[in-house]
Amino acid sequence: MPEEAKIETEGVFEPKIMAFVCNWCTYAGADLAGTSRMEYRPNVRIIKLPCTGRIDPLFIMKAFENGADGVLVSGCHPGDCHYTTGNYHARRRWTAFKDLLAFTGIDLKRVQFSWVSASEAIKWVELINNVTDDMEALGPFMKFKEMNKKGPNQG
Amino acid sequence: MENELREKAKELLESGEVAVVIGYGFNRKKTRITPVFITKPEETDKLVFNELCVNNLSIYLTRKYRDIQKIGRPAIVAKGCDIKNIVVLITEGQTKREDIHILGVTCSGVVYKQELFKGELKPEIMPSKCHNCDVRNPHVADTVIGEKSDFTPPEEPTGMVFDKIKEIDAMSDSARWDFWNEHFNRCIKCYACRQLCSLCYCERCITEKNMPQWIETSAHPRGNLAWNLIRAMHLAGRCTFCGECERGCPVNIPLNLVNQKLVLTVKNAFGFESGIDENVHPPMIVFSEDDNENFIK
Amino acid sequence: MTDKYISKDGLNGLIASVKASGGRFVAPVLDTRQVVYKEVSSAEEIVDDYILPRNSYKEIAFPQTEILAKYELTRDGVTIDPVEIVARDTVVFGARPCEAASLASLNSVFTWDFIDETFTKRQEKVVVLSLGCVDADDECFCTTVNLSPASTEGSDVALYETENGYIVTPLTDKGTAFVSAHSDSFTDVAKGEEKKELVNPEKVEGVDLTKLGERLAKSPNYDNPEWAELTRKCCGCGACTYSCPTCHCFDIIDEGTAFEGERRKNWDACQFNHFTLHASGHNPRDTQYKRYRNRFMCKFHIYPTKFNSTGCVGCGRCIRVCPVRLDITDLMTAMSS
Repeated sequence: MPEEAKIETEGVFEPKIMAFVCNWCTYAGADLAGTSRMEYRPNVRIIKLPCTGRIDPLFIMKAFENGADGVLVSGCHPGDCHYTTGNYHARRRWTAFKDLLAFTGIDLKRVQFSWVSASEAIKWVELINNVTDDMEALGPFMKFKEMNKKGPNQG
Repeated sequence: MENELREKAKELLESGEVAVVIGYGFNRKKTRITPVFITKPEETDKLVFNELCVNNLSIYLTRKYRDIQKIGRPAIVAKGCDIKNIVVLITEGQTKREDIHILGVTCSGVVYKQELFKGELKPEIMPSKCHNCDVRNPHVADTVIGEKSDFTPPEEPTGMVFDKIKEIDAMSDSARWDFWNEHFNRCIKCYACRQLCSLCYCERCITEKNMPQWIETSAHPRGNLAWNLIRAMHLAGRCTFCGECERGCPVNIPLNLVNQKLVLTVKNAFGFESGIDENVHPPMIVFSEDDNENFIK
Repeated sequence: MTDKYISKDGLNGLIASVKASGGRFVAPVLDTRQVVYKEVSSAEEIVDDYILPRNSYKEIAFPQTEILAKYELTRDGVTIDPVEIVARDTVVFGARPCEAASLASLNSVFTWDFIDETFTKRQEKVVVLSLGCVDADDECFCTTVNLSPASTEGSDVALYETENGYIVTPLTDKGTAFVSAHSDSFTDVAKGEEKKELVNPEKVEGVDLTKLGERLAKSPNYDNPEWAELTRKCCGCGACTYSCPTCHCFDIIDEGTAFEGERRKNWDACQFNHFTLHASGHNPRDTQYKRYRNRFMCKFHIYPTKFNSTGCVGCGRCIRVCPVRLDITDLMTAMSS
């Protein structure tokens, strides 16, 4: 059954959220949430990278292509970067990339950015819950899903 | 002006200061302009400059053209807008200022595509960059050729590209999505946009990285979108809006819109304009602690 | 079969008739400021005044992307399903005689040592209605490669423009069958209907195909430094190859995730650096002039000697589309001397 039809009949939509996080702050923050036995929404899949500076805009595109309904990008607060300046560079890149995505018609609620430090387990939990709520409100990301269904232009 | 250009080129070649002059010449039928490479002083008569000289010759300075680099020190005929690209190449360490001789030509605008030229340069066949040009007098050059232009660009950028960007900005998300999908769907992945861009000088492009294949090579809407967006992103803060990608696109994808959008973003966010000063770092390799972060939670 | 006639308004009847029999009608239409071959549903969409569409109709028989198989990885193992070739009856209206000659060239490549069914099955279903040219531009050079607006090679039905319609001359069995199948749409030629004069593009001076072929066959010429000089400006985009009606290179690639995806046959171009790059990192065609030389050799040496067919049909698309205006006829002239 197509996803949208399933939602109508059964009323279930579990958004898939892809989180690209840095190893030193956000991942440690998420880890702290786990070891502190905090509960949060299970819709997020985390991919750990060395630094937010490593997060290529292509990762975000790939996540959408592979069926993500939303993407979260998170790293160390400015000044806290393990590699001193990685997150400053990432911030510049995101500034441009978010404008580009908006220009192509992608709702910027689908791509969210945040700083979560290693001690901010509570912020992480709230963040995930909020992002999940946002995605639930927006529904499945049909733009990419419809594109995926379309075959290549064949003769 | 052409005589002045030929004289100078001849002088440079004769003195041995340069080994090759990269410039514009006519094709066999004398109907279109094509790049020429002059290595002999007696051939400098081939050089021309007119409103058909739309190509950005700075692509020939990049490392993709090893055989041209092998000839020796080049002199390049460049309009102000082409010089912007050379400046970016210098800031990115692709060439050194002293390694090239820039024959800057003053320019009063070129055509958008050579086919449109019917004997007269009318404003409607000029690209948006020409209507807003602030470098009609070359800003970085070893020799400036031609009469000084007293053109002052309008304060607010005008032209089709800027109007269209405003129009798209005012659209709903789904209308924008449809607009771009319609255009990107035509993409035939010939990569003319990349090859014509002097700033796309990577020897191995992201689309050629195939373990895994990052960007689909098929004519599929998914890969087409990813390619065009990622290419625009790789040019963020670097693109000088020379318009070569759109000119070269055999299927008329309005690439100037995405690229100019990012030029505007970079200008608003970081106050940077690319291609002006060869001693300033490009915006994406530097940062400021005070960069705006109101979109980050 | 005798000549028939169809008026420009009468095309609507033919389009409807083709559609009713389950086929599709492809014709030159205006799309984003350029003329392209596209499926049409009414005669009003068809452009009258054009030299050549931007794309070649080879993409009907040889689509840019074609799915060959689908794969899926499940708990029980891997499944691979070949994809059935869906060949649709296709009528190409308004192909130019130069381009019509190209499908035969493609056919000789795709049936040479292995019958490529993805091509032949589609090609069999294509009926080509070629339209004699009443105009030519600076880039046209069919006469230089021994074709002309009156050539009929590769077309099934030849059309000749008159004041208000077309005179229809079936050439092949396929063409005769097509005209009979849609006979209601055609009428007999009325008296006084006169074919408009065909326009021959000027022959490029100094080109001698025999000499050219002989010269390319000699190995010392292969390393002639002239190649590098003549093609120095080539920027290595694939625009010429992708719009060329006889270029046929493709790449087979698996695209998708590790769990599911498709095996696809995509167009590729000898103008790309990546085309000949070996896994070792060595590239036998490491500079652009070698790639351009390959394309040129392919058209004027390999095609004629190996397949005894025309490699270049003189449509001039590669010149029109080239962003640096590298003119293939310049090379032909240079290599003929």
